[in-house]
Amino acid sequence: MSKKTFSVFSITVILLSLVWIMMTPILFPSVQADTNTFAVHKGFQAPNFTLKTPDDQTLSLSDYEGQPVLVFFWASWCSVCKRTMPELQSVYEDFAPRGFEILAINTSFQDTLSNAINYFQSQGYTFTMLLDLDGILSRDYQLHAVPLSVLINPDGEIVDVIIGSGMSESYLRAQLNNIFGERD
Amino acid sequence: MFPIINIGPFAIQTSGFILIAALFMGIWIMGYFSKNLGTNGEVIENSILLGLIVGLISARAGFILQNPTALAGNPFAVFSLTPSMLNASFGIFVGVVTAFIFGQKKHLPLWPTLDTLTPLLILVFAGIHLSNFANGNGYGLPTDLPWGIQLWNETRHPVNLYVLVLISAYFIRTALHTKIFKNTGFIRSGTLFSLTLGVIGFITLISRSFVEEKVLIGSFDSWQLMGFALLVFGMAMIYHKGYKNQKHISVFISLGSNQDAEKNLGKAIDQIKASFKIRKSSNVYKTKDVISEDALSTFFNQVIEIDTDLSYIDLRTKLKAIERGFGRQQGNKKSVPLDLDILTYDNDVFYFHGKQIPDPNLIQYKYIVVPLGEIAPDFRHPASGVGVEDIIAQLSDKNAIQKLKEVENGFTT
Repeated sequence: MSKKTFSVFSITVILLSLVWIMMTPILFPSVQADTNTFAVHKGFQAPNFTLKTPDDQTLSLSDYEGQPVLVFFWASWCSVCKRTMPELQSVYEDFAPRGFEILAINTSFQDTLSNAINYFQSQGYTFTMLLDLDGILSRDYQLHAVPLSVLINPDGEIVDVIIGSGMSESYLRAQLNNIFGERD
Repeated sequence: MFPIINIGPFAIQTSGFILIAALFMGIWIMGYFSKNLGTNGEVIENSILLGLIVGLISARAGFILQNPTALAGNPFAVFSLTPSMLNASFGIFVGVVTAFIFGQKKHLPLWPTLDTLTPLLILVFAGIHLSNFANGNGYGLPTDLPWGIQLWNETRHPVNLYVLVLISAYFIRTALHTKIFKNTGFIRSGTLFSLTLGVIGFITLISRSFVEEKVLIGSFDSWQLMGFALLVFGMAMIYHKGYKNQKHISVFISLGSNQDAEKNLGKAIDQIKASFKIRKSSNVYKTKDVISEDALSTFFNQVIEIDTDLSYIDLRTKLKAIERGFGRQQGNKKSVPLDLDILTYDNDVFYFHGKQIPDPNLIQYKYIVVPLGEIAPDFRHPASGVGVEDIIAQLSDKNAIQKLKEVENGFTT
């Protein structure tokens, strides 16, 4: 490429790029804080659900409007889940008085229900256990592997989705401090 | 969307797997490229490794500094293997700076090293977008176009695929242009890297328009502005490297002769002096013929540093003309009235018409390195950054070399 061709080419590309950037807010307006769309992904509204507890109470996610909620999918055969849940309990004890709730959803359709209930009670967890008996919620929440942690802020917006062992006591503490910090 | 790959009982996080695979493949291609360019692959790999380790530690430290309460329950969590507890941008920044400082300390030459890193840069960029595609990050705006994909409750622009198509096309173009990573395909070092930065910037600024969640500065997307800055920087560097007339370029030339050598070398120096400013010129050295290994043939060699404004191509033509004036026949290696070889041209690393610069003989033969070390003891190899003393220490050439002193009408030992 000769010097002149290169100069003309590069200046053209730079000017067209500049026009493209200028036009972007008009042609492709960004949708910030997508409050209308429900999806299991950071930034979207958490889809609502209704499930039963082991003692046959019915609970919905929408019951916890205005509170931060951790939706935690687990199974009794899952060692990572059982390693994580005591950590969740410890955070729960500190933050429950400020309105934090944990919904520990047992994937009962692929677990032995009695094992799950025995485990949960023997550990003395004080957060809420729910049963996904038919697997419909797991499908709706695109469960690919347990544990799956979905942290929801008081506005019902998903703050983070973590598959596997990434959910830990320290991470949850940091996130909750941010959520409550913003409110205070 | 495929965030998890199930292999038997194991569930692997796709995004992490893709990033690691891209990194490994990039480093592997980079190693091959480095060998062909003559750059210091080992030191480059070490600096990348160091950058990665320090980057990871800093990413964790950054997260803890931002969220000091994270450790309230359990201080040992600072070592936990949770990828969510990382401050990525801080980690990348510290990692890159560390790798850069390490490279400087090891005398890695900037532009040839950056050229070597180009395949890694392309693959990591592609890997980031493929892993975003896998876990549905950086999703596009809703669209009615027939190629829209179903994601997060909408039919959306497959933005990450747009990027992957464009960067794959550029990767293939680069592979062809470099003869499958044999050379950079450009004369000036740094052109390939600058071009790649420009292309990555361009792809980013085009594709970000279709992303739904923008990071706005005023009414503009900050990634788009960053892409634009990269594009302008890349173009400016290419112009600076490739099109600006250079002045006072330092060129090292090796002179050799085995026919009437004493007279020819002296005459050659006179002719070069007529066209160029000679900055430095070494003593004459006597060696056995290392190329044809003819026991009876003895070569006289000398290295000079000249100052020129000529481009490499013009300089080479000029030197060839001088060679021919001495009756040099191309291809005749036995009888060499005068041989003029360009050893280095500025600090550039390139391949042109079957000739590699810096000359590969520069790290092989005493008859070149010893006189070079005499006139430029601080010389460093433009590609690898290895100092001339270390080059001499690593030579496998065991032939004797003898310095000659010039006396009137000839040389004496």
